[in-house]
Amino acid sequence: MTDLNTLQLTATTALGGTLPQEARHGALRMAENSGLALASLTLRRGTTQPAPFGLALPGPGAWGQAGRHAALWMGPEQWLIEGEGLAETDFATALQGQCPGCSVTEQTDGFVAFEITSEAGEAPILALLARLVNIAPDRLRPGMGTRTGLEHMSVLVIRRAPDRLALLGLRSAAATLWHALTTAAARLG
Amino acid sequence: MRLSGGEIDRSQTLRFTFDGRAYTGHPGDTLASALLANDVRLMGRSFKYHRPRGVFSAGSEEPNALVTLRGGARAEPNTRATAVELFEGLEARSQNAWPSLAFDALAVNDLMANFLTAGFYYKTFMWPRAFWERLYEPMIRKAAGLGRLSMAADPDAYDKGFLHCDLLVIGAGAAGLAAALTAARAGAQVILADEDARLGGRLLAESATLDGAPARDWVAGLEAEMASLPNLRLMRRTTVWGLFDHGVYGAVERVADHLPIPGAQVRQTLWRITARRAVLAAGATERHIPFRNNDRPGVMQAGALRAYANRFAVSPAQRVAIFTSQDDGHQTALDLIAKGVEIAAVIDSRAEARAMGEYRLIAGGQVCDSRGRLGLRAVQVRHGGGVEWLSCGALGVAGGWNPNLHLASHQRGRPRWDEAAQAFLPDTLPAGLAVAGAAAGQGETAAVMASGVAAALRALADLGLSGRAPALPITEARSLAGQSLWHVPGKGRAWVDFQNDVTVKDIKLAHQENMRPVEHLKRWTTLGMATDQGKTANVAALAVMAELTGQTIAATRTTIFRPPYTPVALSALGGGDSGAQFRPRRLTPSHAWAAAQGAVFVEVGQWMRAQWFPQPGETHWRHSVDREVLATRKGVGICDVTTLGKVDVQGADAAVFLDRLYANPMASLKVGMVRYGLMLREDGHAYDDGTCARLAEDHYVVTTTTAQAGPVYRHMEFARQCLWPELDVQLISTTEAWAQFAVAGPNARKLLERVVDGFDLSNAAFPFMACAQLTICGGLRARLFRISFSGELAYELAVPARFGAALMARLVAVGADLGATPYGTEALGVMRIEKGHVAGNELNGQTTAQMLGLGRMVSDKKDAIGAVMSRREGLVEEARVLVGLQPVNPGDPVVAGSHLFAQGAQQKTETDEGWITSACHSPHVGSSIGLGFLARGAERLGEVIVAANPLQGQQIALRVVPAHFVDPDGGRLRD
Amino acid sequence: MLIPHPLLGLRDAQEFTCLGDAALLNRPDGLADPQALTDYVYLRDNPAGVHRELWFHEQGDRSWLVVTRNTLTHEILGAELARDVALRAKGAK
Repeated sequence: MTDLNTLQLTATTALGGTLPQEARHGALRMAENSGLALASLTLRRGTTQPAPFGLALPGPGAWGQAGRHAALWMGPEQWLIEGEGLAETDFATALQGQCPGCSVTEQTDGFVAFEITSEAGEAPILALLARLVNIAPDRLRPGMGTRTGLEHMSVLVIRRAPDRLALLGLRSAAATLWHALTTAAARLG
Repeated sequence: MRLSGGEIDRSQTLRFTFDGRAYTGHPGDTLASALLANDVRLMGRSFKYHRPRGVFSAGSEEPNALVTLRGGARAEPNTRATAVELFEGLEARSQNAWPSLAFDALAVNDLMANFLTAGFYYKTFMWPRAFWERLYEPMIRKAAGLGRLSMAADPDAYDKGFLHCDLLVIGAGAAGLAAALTAARAGAQVILADEDARLGGRLLAESATLDGAPARDWVAGLEAEMASLPNLRLMRRTTVWGLFDHGVYGAVERVADHLPIPGAQVRQTLWRITARRAVLAAGATERHIPFRNNDRPGVMQAGALRAYANRFAVSPAQRVAIFTSQDDGHQTALDLIAKGVEIAAVIDSRAEARAMGEYRLIAGGQVCDSRGRLGLRAVQVRHGGGVEWLSCGALGVAGGWNPNLHLASHQRGRPRWDEAAQAFLPDTLPAGLAVAGAAAGQGETAAVMASGVAAALRALADLGLSGRAPALPITEARSLAGQSLWHVPGKGRAWVDFQNDVTVKDIKLAHQENMRPVEHLKRWTTLGMATDQGKTANVAALAVMAELTGQTIAATRTTIFRPPYTPVALSALGGGDSGAQFRPRRLTPSHAWAAAQGAVFVEVGQWMRAQWFPQPGETHWRHSVDREVLATRKGVGICDVTTLGKVDVQGADAAVFLDRLYANPMASLKVGMVRYGLMLREDGHAYDDGTCARLAEDHYVVTTTTAQAGPVYRHMEFARQCLWPELDVQLISTTEAWAQFAVAGPNARKLLERVVDGFDLSNAAFPFMACAQLTICGGLRARLFRISFSGELAYELAVPARFGAALMARLVAVGADLGATPYGTEALGVMRIEKGHVAGNELNGQTTAQMLGLGRMVSDKKDAIGAVMSRREGLVEEARVLVGLQPVNPGDPVVAGSHLFAQGAQQKTETDEGWITSACHSPHVGSSIGLGFLARGAERLGEVIVAANPLQGQQIALRVVPAHFVDPDGGRLRD
Repeated sequence: MLIPHPLLGLRDAQEFTCLGDAALLNRPDGLADPQALTDYVYLRDNPAGVHRELWFHEQGDRSWLVVTRNTLTHEILGAELARDVALRAKGAK
């Protein structure tokens, strides 16, 4: 368990700063979400599907939320569980406690997360998506999410709400992904 | 010359230059129409013969009026003047002419025409062979070709994007507008794309009314409705240039090409459109009728003359003649007369032709020659048994229309000849594609619109949507009767393909030389192989071939088309990924720290890794690397090894799974221990290596090499899902989640003791190849592995990636008195070679476990991937094994890639005994050293052999030594 | 090309990696029959026509699929999870 009071090391965000980065282009606001805790959850043979943190684990192509927790379907019998603002906790251990008998893997630092918010409804979000990923808009309606390719990188795209989108990518490629995202948003004006 | 009316905005004047001369035009003009308005008919020189050429068409099919647009780095060669919207300050230059367009020295080629005929490339540049590269190629490259590239980087930004729709409508003419309207009103997601800046297509080029008003009024009304429909995306200036499998279309949107400075934002956007259904409504291209000297500036498509008069309010000349085999040609005469242009005559090849208005008709006549070196002055007409010269400044030629079904054949669909339509029509269509309007052979506007509606209704029905036919406007009936005339027989050269200078004579020659099938004809004559891909030439050419062979056109068949429909800039296809953004760049957790230390970085796949850390006073990279190696071997070195692939393996059957995946046993590994693992390919060759750490009975963490992280993970998923789906095992890639550092050297333990939270690091408690989960630095969860690739006492310490930079800094800081030294990949490589550890150079896909000296690791007690095949005779008998190599003369280099021979042996393939895989300067040994595969190497320790490097003329004597240059018995690792 | 993913619907082929002949699912026991293993490693059908192929949804859910594709027309006749196909084959043995 990380004890922040005694810890002698300072974390850096995926973009390399001590504070998360933000950018704004037109109606779109983009921010690095360094507080998002992540863990992979995989069913083992014979285990029944759990409901960690009260989450109804979503089906293929879908994403669901319950309070500060959320789950994205990643593959057959596999989900990515999110904990908003829980990055400093031992999230994997907490999740394991909720899912006895399942395989859990720590992933908080495996990804960089960018949260994108529109101040003008869903149109700017849809326009941005069309510049970024080759996924039909009806597969990225609110409450849906998927892994796909973006500029030769693997990313997770989550439509949290009509006006909110999350983009999760390889932590090591955070700068490239941020460049791709902000460039696309800037070009939308 | 400028006429009245048209779709141009006379309230604004735009200034532009052509070949340095200043002209003016108006918004709504193309460069071609603006030049014609300024009485410029000569716009270029032809490809091969350098013949003077003018504008031929009013659209993207233009073969002649190719110019270099803009200047400096933005100079864009081979731009069709007919497709360039005029903008203020436009700058264009003619091409393929020297010293000037009007006097071109290479026009001498025209006098050598007999020499430059069909197949001349093949016949002329064959012998002698030595001339190929020295003479022929430079000569051809200099003389041929059209515009020149600027040779400067493209300064503009290009973008890309992805669109999905129910219905893609390609072309916004009468058919496309009707189709898009029908589908959009039914609620379908519709994209309507057109290469033009304006909607309407051919409607804007015709005088015919819709609902009794100019067609532009009807188009404008439709545009207003379409703009209000959220489910319809209008894409003007967008060429759908390719049709790919399963309804994927390539389109390029010219976002800013019509602006004086195109690069302010994005110049062009490449769109990948996935459409459930599509309607091809790309219209038709008018064909011409080849006759002697038919390539002079002023000879044009009759329909283009009409488009220039009606839409652009220009005529290339005051006095114009028409040569037609169709009623449609007469319409051009009528439209020109209405605009005040004088018609010299309408020459109709049909004896029974009748005049449709007040002009001189020459029925049963043919144009058989022309005059006017730099622009048409007169045409010679043969009729009634005699010939007559008619003076005129332009000639409109109307030979019928070819449907633009290029996209319909991008998936190898071969159009079929329709005798009634006298045109090639689509035969089998790609799934999901319908063709409508003129592209489907329709001519009358009412029929064109109806076919667009019908295609949309069929698409809607396929998609499970119901639609209704919209009310269509009342159209004017026009006679479209005609009789094909493929060429005017006679002497001299009659051009078929203007851009590539292919004449009827060339086709005759191809026929005579037995290049008769259309594909041969095309390649022998280069017909249709220019930038216009023969849009105005191909059908006429194969009709001529049909005539020569006595076959029907249907039997002669046509070549098919490939993407792109019109040329697409490579910058657009590149999608803007250039320079530092050419590909993703992955940074290690300690990257910023390393950069602050002045590290030199190296690209390792997508990763940027610190290669070495120069210190003040170090003037050569070897200084830095030698210091890092020696400091590590003497004190302690720290290296970021996060890039190694890491996979979390869990499940009740994790042990069984890994046992089958690795050649060596993994199930027997004790919890809390690590084992080196070797993966084989199924064919028995070595695939990848790494370590397996067993964290719990049902939980392992395995590592892969940096380069193979992706493929090995895929391979593991293949084994899990495809080979042994019955096993209870789960795989999660965690490469990114953990920052991992190698801490190596005699002081490694002492250094780690200063960061762990009360963890016993003693040899007894945490021996060689142990692993543990622990906390460090006051509570940070971490993983520790006691593994070594340097030959030293070494550990790898992993923490959540966000703490990686801080941990690196801390280890260096708290270890200062222990000699803690960061080292890069170069020192890493030196130390692994000194220790004889294999890496990518040895695991190159051609080597076996036996060659690597790891043969005993391959268990014969289990059926792991590759284990059985690795025991095949041929592999077992492989005599080359890994050895160390050291120069006899310590000053000599060891060069990787050199081949190994016995001393005194003749050096040839048969006597080749192996090769050097890795080499470096070893500060430990004090000379260059290497690793290599040598036949019977184990028996030859001490022998002196020769390393041959013929590329640099090197022959170096090397002594064969054990592959471990440091600590051969491994004592340091275990202390 | 578009691949009809059995769980995720039509997805662009750029998201996938193609491995080829789905016969690779039927790995024989190498200890029992080395010749069968040799055939498995080296002999593949390469039909001009309908072919069953393995595709990996690398930029997706990481499922291996068995895609039935006509190699002449690129028409895709179906796709299922390779795991299901392999389990079915094992059940049949």
